[in-house]
Amino acid sequence: MNYTLTRDVLDAFYKAYATREIDKIAPFIHDDIEWTISGPVDYLPFCGTHSGKVAVMDMIENKVKAVLRTFSFVPESIVIDGDRVAMLSRQSARRTKDGVTISYRVANVMRFKDDKVIENFSLIDSYDAVEQVLGQPLAAGNGARAGSGEFVTV
Amino acid sequence: MAMPVARAVVEGFYKVLANSDFAALAPYLADDVVWTISGPVDVLPFCGPRRGKDLVLKLLARDIPVFLAKRSLVPTITLIDGDRAAVFGKLTASRGDINRVISYRICQFVRFENNKVVEYLSLIDSFDAVEQVLGKQITAPGGVCAGDGELVAV
Repeated sequence: MNYTLTRDVLDAFYKAYATREIDKIAPFIHDDIEWTISGPVDYLPFCGTHSGKVAVMDMIENKVKAVLRTFSFVPESIVIDGDRVAMLSRQSARRTKDGVTISYRVANVMRFKDDKVIENFSLIDSYDAVEQVLGQPLAAGNGARAGSGEFVTV
Repeated sequence: MAMPVARAVVEGFYKVLANSDFAALAPYLADDVVWTISGPVDVLPFCGPRRGKDLVLKLLARDIPVFLAKRSLVPTITLIDGDRAAVFGKLTASRGDINRVISYRICQFVRFENNKVVEYLSLIDSFDAVEQVLGKQITAPGGVCAGDGELVAV
């Protein structure tokens, strides 16, 4: 019989995940998890694919926190269907290096098995996230613009 | 309580959207639809919110094709829950001017009322999208990346 994710399990996971406290999140992470965050690894070192519970816990506890400290994770849309869920959230954090507040949207597309996350794909507005994490506009925004054959100053 | 959207409606909407069949798309859109593509408006002018069916159709049929021709959306995961749907997939297109194929991940959250789209929000890996659309690598001023509390040269 196929596993079906319930709203209660998701709510419990979301509440734990929003805290970013490893002890609360760990029970919801499957040993065989694959967790991918889409984004430029050169600028956001926590992006990329993390395989296995140990690697995912390390990513949440260390790699992300080296860059930012999340203090708010608010759902805007949640779509559950079978063993999967897509969540659109607003993530607010403080930059670890200087405490400046940043905020961006993140989509999590997850698959659960036995009430645990076994697959996650996170999609963020990565251009916005990189600018906020670095605290400065990126070079592409400096006069470059996608146009019909030419780059134009804006 | 919101009226659930029928799976056939969601599938019909995505079929015409994926095929860029805008005449067939129009009946799926509510008059006051809000259509938002998350991303840097100064670099990718088709990003940002559009309000109203006419502006949305103009965006899809006229504005976006200036930058991205032959768009094709390939959904890999489609979830439906009540009045909402979420689609995760890959958007492939070619830059209209130089015919270079680009491809980036996309996650869409859609809310329906009376079987018409009233809200659409699309998250894209915008850093990746900007690099591909501009056809050049983005570099932060000074060549910096986010690290363990320090900015380091890359």
